[in-house]
Amino acid sequence: MRKGFYFRLALQNMEKNKRTYLPYLLTCICSVMMYYFMSFLTLNPGMDQMPDARNVKTIMGMGTWVIAIFSVIFLFYTNSFLMKRRKKEMGLYNILGMEKKHIGRMLLYETLINAALSLLLGIGLGILGSKLIFLFLMKLLSFPVALGFFISVRSVVNALALFGAIFLLTYLNDLRQIHMADPVELLRGSSMGEKEPKTRWLLVLIGILCLGGGYWIAVTTESVMAALSYFFAAVILVMVGTYCLFVAVSVAVLKLLKDCKGFYYKTKHFTAVSGMIYRMKQNAVGLANICILSTGVLLLISTTVCLYIGREEIITGRYPREVSLSAYETDEEGFSKVQEVEAQVLENWDLEPEDITVYRSIQMVVLDKGDKMDILSGDEYPANAMEKIAGVAFIPLEDYNACMGEARTLDPGQALLFTNKKGMDGRKELSIGGKKWEITEELEELFTEIKVGNPQIDDYYLVVDSVGTLESIAREDPASGGIIYQKDYDLPGDPDVRVKAEEQLRAQVSQVSEEPAHVRVAAREYDRMSFYSTYGGLFFLGIFLGLLFLMATALIIYYKQLSEGYEDRQRFEIMQKVGMSKREVKRSISSQILMVFFLPLVTAVIHIGFAFPLMKRLLAMMNLYNTGLFAVCTLGTIGCFALVYAAIYALTARTYYRIVDQSVF
Amino acid sequence: MSILEVEHIQKVYTTRFGGNQVQALTDVSFQVEEGEYVAIMGESGSGKTTLLNILAALDRPTRGQVVLDGKSLSMIKEKEIAAYRRKNLGFVFQDFNLLDTFNIQDNIYLPLVLAGESYQNMKSRLHPIAQQLRIQEILRKFPYEVSGGQKQRAAVARALITGPRLILADEPTGALDSRAAGDLLTVFQKINEKGQTILMVTHSVMAASCAERILFIKDGQVFHQIYRGEKTDEEMYGMISDTLRMLATGGDHHA
Repeated sequence: MRKGFYFRLALQNMEKNKRTYLPYLLTCICSVMMYYFMSFLTLNPGMDQMPDARNVKTIMGMGTWVIAIFSVIFLFYTNSFLMKRRKKEMGLYNILGMEKKHIGRMLLYETLINAALSLLLGIGLGILGSKLIFLFLMKLLSFPVALGFFISVRSVVNALALFGAIFLLTYLNDLRQIHMADPVELLRGSSMGEKEPKTRWLLVLIGILCLGGGYWIAVTTESVMAALSYFFAAVILVMVGTYCLFVAVSVAVLKLLKDCKGFYYKTKHFTAVSGMIYRMKQNAVGLANICILSTGVLLLISTTVCLYIGREEIITGRYPREVSLSAYETDEEGFSKVQEVEAQVLENWDLEPEDITVYRSIQMVVLDKGDKMDILSGDEYPANAMEKIAGVAFIPLEDYNACMGEARTLDPGQALLFTNKKGMDGRKELSIGGKKWEITEELEELFTEIKVGNPQIDDYYLVVDSVGTLESIAREDPASGGIIYQKDYDLPGDPDVRVKAEEQLRAQVSQVSEEPAHVRVAAREYDRMSFYSTYGGLFFLGIFLGLLFLMATALIIYYKQLSEGYEDRQRFEIMQKVGMSKREVKRSISSQILMVFFLPLVTAVIHIGFAFPLMKRLLAMMNLYNTGLFAVCTLGTIGCFALVYAAIYALTARTYYRIVDQSVF
Repeated sequence: MSILEVEHIQKVYTTRFGGNQVQALTDVSFQVEEGEYVAIMGESGSGKTTLLNILAALDRPTRGQVVLDGKSLSMIKEKEIAAYRRKNLGFVFQDFNLLDTFNIQDNIYLPLVLAGESYQNMKSRLHPIAQQLRIQEILRKFPYEVSGGQKQRAAVARALITGPRLILADEPTGALDSRAAGDLLTVFQKINEKGQTILMVTHSVMAASCAERILFIKDGQVFHQIYRGEKTDEEMYGMISDTLRMLATGGDHHA
């Protein structure tokens, strides 16, 4: 055969199938481009200029993996859809005398053309757009960046390798399908006999149980720790439940409706119910995919947006004071050395601390069992979510009096209590680690405002009679961790100066003690950078992956519309011949199509509704306690997403109607 | 009395950009009496399908009119045409046109459901028709589960169930093997004996030979017609064959 024949045939095929090929090609290009972006951001040397580059790099590295895995699954899925549509064409070639080997060669050329185009355009656009993306990320991270252009060779190589492998895999899969099938089967291809789906009660049951279980976990999980560990269980349960819901439950419900004669044999319901049964059979998995992707997009974007918007609030919650110096396993003498160094640094930068509080305390984590509290040591956390973790701190009376400017007195065994827990009901006694404390008064306020923001963990501050009492607690219970020397203050002044001063403070102070870990400096201005970069990075990732998922959703919807269109065309021709008016046919079509395409969205929104309490707790773990903000972010995200979804629907529906149009409209 | 009057129908198709005009029907006139069984024959391209589409009100003639039961089809409003078709006409197609999403019974019910009949009413109507067409056994099955002959009998049941004035059959034996075709033609003859008017378009000599009257169409007009009278199916078969041979070799205008 003449040279270049298969190449031209392949080109011609792609041209003829452009309705399905073009979106596939676009998806390939976008996937390559997005992969390059992500990989570029991970490997970009410009990133290293940031003080907390590691955080962002880890997040971006994670994103690269997500995109890689997603690309494999998704491109594989779309390719197999394409092949299914083209089976008839392949069968025809086969019958017209092309051997399978020849078809394979033709497909090889198609894959090569497609791979070359996607890699070339994808990486090209990736390189062109990478600077823009980088600047956008820096803007999100509130970090100024030097200009410059950079091409990451490693990213290009990675992209070539990954997507080359994906294309090879899809090609092998195509070959497998061609070789497995005989020509007659290929010819019949996509129009195999339509069997009415059976109700699969087991799946219905599993679906309901999984969905119910997932929802139950999401709604009832109280403790933050449990929220983290149960989150993935809930996600998997809901995912399984969603698949069952679409595959089995929908068919079961429709069949029940069908059995209800009075309902079924009505003009409005007749075609809709039976039509829906088949649509659900063919589209259930696709719809479930759309639903899960949509849920993912909504969760990702709403939480990351919320964290990004609430980042300032998180920081002030986390750092009530500008600088908070804590020294562990030390004594008066050691602490005064730390303070000397500190004073020197502040003087260097010409900064004057304000509103200083110095106090000693013992801090411990306890298990609140209602009538008594057990001290927890190290990493042991309760597996049982019903038992609550609480924080307890002992502060000597003299430090309290000094900080508050009061002159109270206490006897040994007595304590003043400050707590964020509501409803102490005037309890007069607290039992902590086997020791009983008589509460003489519940304080309205305390000089330290640590952790007041966290409403999920109860904190108890006990002001006790003397430092000696603290020492005896530390002696009796090694798990208590010993006395902590604490100095908190605010620092007025230029933020840029503060950052530098705080950086130096951290460096110098840690050199004072033998173990650097024994002195901790929490400095708001300095740590702000790391918060901004973490939450900015997450926000960026959220939007980025959100867009990727959205693209996938759009493509699945488009292909759905396309395949439905071809199948429905004949059906509506018949209905018209049997005596349905054009208007009736059109109404019946649009109601079914609307139902099919907005079902996943509605389900996704319901998922989000149930996920809300769980997500709220996870956000609390990241120091965001503003439920109102999260609600607004979630609703906003849902609103935007619904608009985009509707736009995608409207655009793809045009293609659908154009296909059906040839007979009906 | 004539149930259907076709008066000087002409149909001209114009290509999309104006340019060429194609005359599918030049001038067709004929009548169908109540209870008649008429076959229309012609080669492909002779305008049979165009004629049938016009009779079914799926298409409108360029000139002339179709009068069904004294009412001109062109007088019916666009909005009412579907309901009109549903009530007065029953269709049987070459490729059955059963919906694969419905079982046989629901396919037969379809026109009644569209007309808004109650379920009880539908059920009582289905029973005698199903018995007559011998499809009681397959009512619960789906189109892909039954044979071509059974599908076509189901399609006939769907056409009959509304009690139409006229049954229009488009090449009903076209997709059937000879045994199933013979079967179907017997069904047609039986329902015709009960008074059902049937108009069938076909190019199968065997199918046409069962009819009482055969119209031949050539070049967009009625060229010739044959009445059965007292002739047997075999004699009819011979006459039709002769006529077709004459049509193919060219001949004078007869009708």
